[in-house]
Amino acid sequence: MTPKGLRLGLENAAIPIIAVILGLLISSIFVFIAQSDPVQTYQRLFCEGFGPRGCETFGDLIIFQPQADDGTTQTVFAPTYGVGGHPLSLVLERGTILILAALSATVAFQAGMFSIGMDGQLVLGSITVAFLGYWLPQQVYTLAGVIDPETAPAGLLTVMHLVIPLVCIAAAMAVGAFYSWIAGYLKVKLNVNELISTIILNAIAVQVVGYLLRNPLRSDFNTTARTFRIDDTAWLVPFNRGIFQDVEWFSGSRTGVGIIIALGAAVLVGFYLWRTTGGYEQRMTRGSRLFARFGGVPSERAALRAMLISGALSGLAGAIQILGVERRFVDGFQSSAFGFDGVLVAILARESIPGIMLFACFYAGLDQGVINLQFGNLPRQLGGIIIAFIILFNSMEDYIRRIISRIQSRLRPPRAQLAEVPGEPST
Amino acid sequence: MPQGIEMRHIRKYFPSSDVLACDDVTFAVTKGEVHALVGENGAGKTTLMNILYGLISPDEGQILVDEKSVRIQHPNDAIRHRIGMVHQHFKLVPSFTIAENIMLGIEPNQFGFIDSRTEAEAVRKLADDFGLPVNPNARVADISVGMQQRVEILKTLQRDAQLLILDEPTAVLTPQEVHELYTVVRKLADSGRTIILITHKLLEVKEVADRVSVMRRGRMIGTHTVADVSIRDMANMMVGREVILQVDKAPAKPGETVLKVDNLLVSGMGSVPAVFGVSFQVRAGEILGIAGVTGNGQTELIEAIAGLRPVDGGGVTLLGEEITNKNVRERRDDGMAHIPEDRLVMGLNLTTNLDENVAVTLYQKPGYSERGVVRQSALRQLAGQIVSLFQIKSAKIGEGIRTLSGGNLQKIVLGRELHGSPKLIIANQPTRGLDVGSIEFVHQTLVEARDAGAAVLLVSVELDEVFSLSDRIAVMFEGRVMGVLDRKDANEQDVGILMAGGSLEGDQSAQEKVGA
Repeated sequence: MTPKGLRLGLENAAIPIIAVILGLLISSIFVFIAQSDPVQTYQRLFCEGFGPRGCETFGDLIIFQPQADDGTTQTVFAPTYGVGGHPLSLVLERGTILILAALSATVAFQAGMFSIGMDGQLVLGSITVAFLGYWLPQQVYTLAGVIDPETAPAGLLTVMHLVIPLVCIAAAMAVGAFYSWIAGYLKVKLNVNELISTIILNAIAVQVVGYLLRNPLRSDFNTTARTFRIDDTAWLVPFNRGIFQDVEWFSGSRTGVGIIIALGAAVLVGFYLWRTTGGYEQRMTRGSRLFARFGGVPSERAALRAMLISGALSGLAGAIQILGVERRFVDGFQSSAFGFDGVLVAILARESIPGIMLFACFYAGLDQGVINLQFGNLPRQLGGIIIAFIILFNSMEDYIRRIISRIQSRLRPPRAQLAEVPGEPST
Repeated sequence: MPQGIEMRHIRKYFPSSDVLACDDVTFAVTKGEVHALVGENGAGKTTLMNILYGLISPDEGQILVDEKSVRIQHPNDAIRHRIGMVHQHFKLVPSFTIAENIMLGIEPNQFGFIDSRTEAEAVRKLADDFGLPVNPNARVADISVGMQQRVEILKTLQRDAQLLILDEPTAVLTPQEVHELYTVVRKLADSGRTIILITHKLLEVKEVADRVSVMRRGRMIGTHTVADVSIRDMANMMVGREVILQVDKAPAKPGETVLKVDNLLVSGMGSVPAVFGVSFQVRAGEILGIAGVTGNGQTELIEAIAGLRPVDGGGVTLLGEEITNKNVRERRDDGMAHIPEDRLVMGLNLTTNLDENVAVTLYQKPGYSERGVVRQSALRQLAGQIVSLFQIKSAKIGEGIRTLSGGNLQKIVLGRELHGSPKLIIANQPTRGLDVGSIEFVHQTLVEARDAGAAVLLVSVELDEVFSLSDRIAVMFEGRVMGVLDRKDANEQDVGILMAGGSLEGDQSAQEKVGA
């Protein structure tokens, strides 16, 4: 990388970090108002979110000295110390859905479509798998003449366990893609603002899912409406019940195949956006619609394709949350706004794939830390406040860049000889 | 009364783009003179004037008004020191009347209610005082560009400006309007005001300015009395080397008809036809120049031919094949290249790097992508070829192009469009906003493409350009072609008449009006 490219790269990475620091600093005002010590509060927040069991200080996040039963201490590398389960595995569980939702937002944004329809697409995907994950195996059992799944032949169960999750996921992706396509079509053909149409479509999806959940798909008379639990053959078994059942690090977390799917999706999205003609077309459309048209890029098709992919990723997020984590659709999930959190992660990460991984986990950890903190004397709202401030500072990009460049121009005198004078920046 | 304004040792560095826009610039104007400030694009002249007007704060240096050091940190400070500026892009409210625009911010009012009659009266009086007649009640959206400029000038005069900075004032005017502007400028100078004229048209300097200051790459090269320097001298000072002002070209050897436009009808904004029954032909190996004042349907015509705008009637034929309903990609595959008017938004995508910019016309072709996967190495190779062939200094493979100069950006567009020797080259204002050196390069490139057998359709609002490049000249006025003249028979006067909507009655060249 050239020095200039390196400088820009560092600057790009520095902005979110500066934003996080500033966000924490400003939020500490509210910690003061709640009559707590900010340093202590943040230490607990980060320990609950990212530290090993028993973590108490910032230092413990990296090097930890747990006490064994016999009173002796040992020094360990904190992120891998998994006795009693590690909160980081919970971060992965929560991060999976955020990564997928953020990827979904990124694909749409990178086509110049400011779609925030992730929520609607996600809950429709979720309700689809919640239904199929229960209904489909029932049909198979009926066809095969199995009365009790416990007694079903092992071969059949294995095949079902391979096929049914795939069918469910494919269905959820198709539903999400279709729902996203509506907004894309309205934008491309009728020039309906996609921001507004996706907000409306989200509201419609939440209401429709609420209706389905409380009426045709309601499983029992539990006070909170919920669907039937999905069949075991549709379940994406978490690591701690499957291959890693002896690894204590994963205990207490429902992380499973989902995170692997999310990582795979991230790689594929990155490849699609930066290496394929489809990605090229949609990025050029975003950069300048006129430029794309002028060059003969089919920009309408590119925008629609982006919306389809974006919707499919949201549907996938919803599917994994049900198949791998919740195992049933419980009332309240449709308004938990994971999709919108994904949008925030995408914005925070400036639509970079590694950035999304990082910030999805950061966001998940912060959220988790705050949930645990609220049992103390601090309100749950603190997490929201911190995240809001971080996003606010993050969007002060231009201002931060200006400060950075002001510092640079103090430190480094400009080149005396200019080989080439670039365009006049003032006009 | 200010006796003059001096800027001493001004230095301004833009760290974000790593440009030293002004490097120890000292510049002085005296009362009552018309002072031209010339230089290539990126020479720092607009930056210098923005500093004087308080839009940019300098890193170093001082500004003296009447030999007293002053601080100008905001346009309000500049206005207080009686400095006014008319920007290249007018800053008027289109839906307001002329009077409302002139009095904006200083409205006469009673208890917060604007008295529009007093306002109109004040503007009428102001206009009469300076001999710049305007209709105070006309809406800015309805008046011509020349009139809008007059409104801008009146606006500064209303604020009692003694020093007027005019940034590229003639870029958007018709020849007649340019002459009116010169008269106004002279009159203002005679009344004791100082005018600074930012420009890169040297003919203009010769015609109207008393003194001229030349800037190059952020430095002040020198100040001269206009009568003492020739246009060639000024051009050489601007570029820093010998410039060929005249395009050297052999007579055209026209071949077969490449482009045939037949009775083309294109609607503009709000269904009013922008192009009204235009017909012409362009043959291989010739340059057809379309002259005309901005906004007479040239852009719509070009966009219709290029496939960017729907056609309402008539047809376009490329090499004998009807392309009226083909999309952009199909037209490009048939051998069309297009150098657009707006290189920043249409010609290039500034948000991405050089490779992806040169790839836009052929990324989907075999060799550049396979089964939907782009071959990065092929793109890099192509970008490298164009950079070395067109000597695009400071453009680097795989890097952003945002900070490149206008001339280098246009070279990227040229390199991409001329790649693969197209049959038809549409060049819409190919040198707009470029400096002398780059204009020279663009002109040479177009003539070389012509000599290699391409048909070139050139649109330009600069008459000089049309005259120096074209083999035949078509003149557009209000969406119609007023006449097609052979370069040999054309003179500026005739073209000027046609540009203004007149006709050459009795003149034999008018016979060519329909046929080509």
